[in-house]
Amino acid sequence: MVLARKETVLAGARGRPSRRPRSGSRIVGSRRSTLVLTVLPAVLLMVLFVALPALEGIRISFSDWSGFGSVDFIGLQNYIDAIEDSPFLGSLVTTAIYSSLSMAGIVVIATLLAAAVSGRVRGSAFYRVVWFLPGIAPVTAAGVFWAIAFQPKTGIVNVLLGAIGLGNAHAWLASPTLSIYPTIFVTVWANVGFAFLLVLGAMEQIPTSVYEAARIDGSSTLRTFFSLTLPLIRPVLAITAVLELIFQFNGFTIIWSMTQGGPGYATSTLPVLIYTQAFQLTHFGVGGAMAVMGGALLIVVGLFSIRLSRSKQED
Amino acid sequence: MVRRYLGLTVGQVLLIGWTALTLLPFLLILAFSFRTNADLYAHPLGVGGSYHPENYLTAWQGPGDGAGMVTFFTNTVIAAVLALVVTLTLGSMAAFFATKLSPRLRSAFLGVFLVGQVVPFVLIIVPYFQVANELSLLNQPAVLGVVYGVLAMPTTVLVLNSYYADFPYELIEAATVDGLGEFAAYLRVVLPLSKGALTAVGMLMLVYVWGEAQLGIVMLQTPQSQTVSIGMLGFQGQFVSDLGPLFAGLSLATIPVIILYLVFNRFVTKGIALGGVFR
Repeated sequence: MVLARKETVLAGARGRPSRRPRSGSRIVGSRRSTLVLTVLPAVLLMVLFVALPALEGIRISFSDWSGFGSVDFIGLQNYIDAIEDSPFLGSLVTTAIYSSLSMAGIVVIATLLAAAVSGRVRGSAFYRVVWFLPGIAPVTAAGVFWAIAFQPKTGIVNVLLGAIGLGNAHAWLASPTLSIYPTIFVTVWANVGFAFLLVLGAMEQIPTSVYEAARIDGSSTLRTFFSLTLPLIRPVLAITAVLELIFQFNGFTIIWSMTQGGPGYATSTLPVLIYTQAFQLTHFGVGGAMAVMGGALLIVVGLFSIRLSRSKQED
Repeated sequence: MVRRYLGLTVGQVLLIGWTALTLLPFLLILAFSFRTNADLYAHPLGVGGSYHPENYLTAWQGPGDGAGMVTFFTNTVIAAVLALVVTLTLGSMAAFFATKLSPRLRSAFLGVFLVGQVVPFVLIIVPYFQVANELSLLNQPAVLGVVYGVLAMPTTVLVLNSYYADFPYELIEAATVDGLGEFAAYLRVVLPLSKGALTAVGMLMLVYVWGEAQLGIVMLQTPQSQTVSIGMLGFQGQFVSDLGPLFAGLSLATIPVIILYLVFNRFVTKGIALGGVFR
């Protein structure tokens, strides 16, 4: 009934006679002017604030703009500069490591936690609320806290490790090889809550009768989890993984507040490097070229992983 | 049986361990906010020695010539109000009336916002700076608030549009029969009935504005204009040798949004269940 009426509305809005009989009500067809006045502003804002800036971003990437004055076209020079003599390629590797490890950590921990809570352990309402706190707190505040916590000797992480005999002088954030791992840790810490809610939502869709059948068949908890729960939630798991990969590929704030991309360029993922290039070195063109290439890569990776997760579901 | 018991124990350890990991940083921020550097080094767990509530006063007023929490809060409120107004008024209106478009137009409409959601953020930051700089709109939290409102539009529109797709149309029908125009019916019938969904979207919006830094750091360069999350980055440098007030700042930056979440967590969860994200 409601559906039929909606289709009448839709047909009416298109100015065509409806194939279905009108239900006798006078509501239906919104006037064209109302639709234009209500729908168009939001669309125009998207054009003005997203589409045009994106095009302008591409234009700047072909220019030698230095923060003021005219935007002069210099062809592909910024792209050549970005690829040839800059930390760009290294940053791509850093970004890949950072985003894929963060994504893996987030999805694995979120899944384990969701499995525990959907098993109706005691206090699950409490857990749900508490686990989301790191995702609610302002990211910079969390980043600043953890940056201090990871300091050698005085930082709380080192103090605790020292107390259990694992040494208290780890200077992770100052190490070119290790500094990426604390940022990954904090990224996982801050983002598990969100992924947990998505995965839990999927697990709660599974009818309890499925579990009862498994229990009657004598399936162990672990076995039920791996051969029943996981396959059933795989679509949501795949979407969560793709989402988190894209989020962390774009991630800026945690790294910026913990290491500012350093030491050197050790933790400069793409968004951090672009910020440094554009706003600290005022190489807006080179930064823009990196943004265009990184953006294109992100779209390719995103589409590819959506494809991949879809084809896996069809197995 | 043994294996089952073992599994349960591993599960319990995981639950308790993760809960500790999510709670401890906040408790530590609170504990450290009353300390001096000397106390922090002598009693790294935050207990023992002397306590200094005046750290909060320092954080509230800011270091020497810099801006303090009072300024950051004011700026955040300005940005948040504008962001909420922009995204909720224009977003919900468009989302509702888009359900009345023809199928082709409607999917084109949704397409605009889907594409808007995947445009790489790094690509549009430099142009924002360029235009804001040219029009002298840098360092104005109100301007940033409007931009936040528009950037949140895809989430708002997509969430609300799927919500309105299942809206009971009989109610609007009844209202129009009663002589209300369709826009008046939207204002007086639809909006009050979608309070829950609007609150959910609004909560996501507040958390987003409260924590956003990637655009804020570019658009708000003077300390006097910064929001809470950008202000924390300034505090990090200014209080590098006086950690007590820094932690007091972190605590003030975190407590309001956590209280808001504890009161409205139902709506945050609902917003996420409806497909909302924080960015």
